[in-house]
Amino acid sequence: MAKVTIARNILAANDACASELHEYLRLHGLYTLNLMGTPGAGKTSLLECTVQSLGAELGVAVIEGDIETSVDAERIEQAGARAMQINTRGACHLEAHMVRDALAELDLTATRLLFIENVGNLVCPAEWDLGEDCRVVVVSTTEGDDKPAKYPQMFACAQAMVLNKLDLLPYVSYDPTRVKHYALAVNPRLRIFEISCRTGVGLDAWCQWVRTLVTSAPTLERGLL
Amino acid sequence: MHEFAIAQSIFEVVCEQAIAYHAARIQTVNLRIGEAHGIVLDSLAFSFEMLASTEPVLAGAHLSVEMVPYRAYCQHCANDFNVLNFVVQCPVCHLWSEEIVSGTEFQICAMEFEAAPFD
Repeated sequence: MAKVTIARNILAANDACASELHEYLRLHGLYTLNLMGTPGAGKTSLLECTVQSLGAELGVAVIEGDIETSVDAERIEQAGARAMQINTRGACHLEAHMVRDALAELDLTATRLLFIENVGNLVCPAEWDLGEDCRVVVVSTTEGDDKPAKYPQMFACAQAMVLNKLDLLPYVSYDPTRVKHYALAVNPRLRIFEISCRTGVGLDAWCQWVRTLVTSAPTLERGLL
Repeated sequence: MHEFAIAQSIFEVVCEQAIAYHAARIQTVNLRIGEAHGIVLDSLAFSFEMLASTEPVLAGAHLSVEMVPYRAYCQHCANDFNVLNFVVQCPVCHLWSEEIVSGTEFQICAMEFEAAPFD
């Protein structure tokens, strides 16, 4: 019986692909956000609002990830941005090679901001690097306010959390103070935005933060280092 | 939930290594996994064994996993502590630490195999 050393990261293949993607996106002058969260938290609604506010100014494109259907990509196109749908046909998360293949079909002309809307899931997407610059997790007031405690890895790996559906607070027993406490316990640096996609409250602060991320990122001439 | 996809990554690397080392049969794949990854070992083992059964050189192969505890260092107390529930907060002074000591490992360390006989 022989034993050989391998010494390779389990997700080395994904990470190598993600690293190439990151380089490619930066070379093309794009800032990329990986949007994660529970199914139904409002990821697509948040993107619709963001496209409507920032699309003309920054040029926004979206890669949509779902197990089936192109419903979300159609919504984004209706909102006024280019979108490419990935159907994972069973995989509960996006991987770098899926994003690479989608990018090959997506026209990124005059685009500075790319969103990747991950498959709705508070567990698995945290493990896979997609070459993004920033990760955002979306939760809503119609879920439990203990989500960050129950799914800590997702909140620990993100740079921001969006709490959506503030307009429904009068009708649910949800404590925003509690969810923020749990979220900051696993990630003291987490930026938190409280919004309602339906009423528009809080969206200005979110859009301003995204605008700042894009405009303060190191800029590269397209095609040149 | 994602243990199957992780098992698939391990399977692909091991298949590639089996060819490189002219293995006749892989017996054990040694992994080092930090607790910060939240991997369910039973699910990972089940997924890997299912994949291994599809490849003759991996028939009967199993995973041997060293789990690494999730620990951080508190600069104020100059002491390591166990990270519980992903809250990287020192149990003594209650300040948050940004220095992870262990627990994020995610490695295929080695494989044990029977070599194919020389022709």
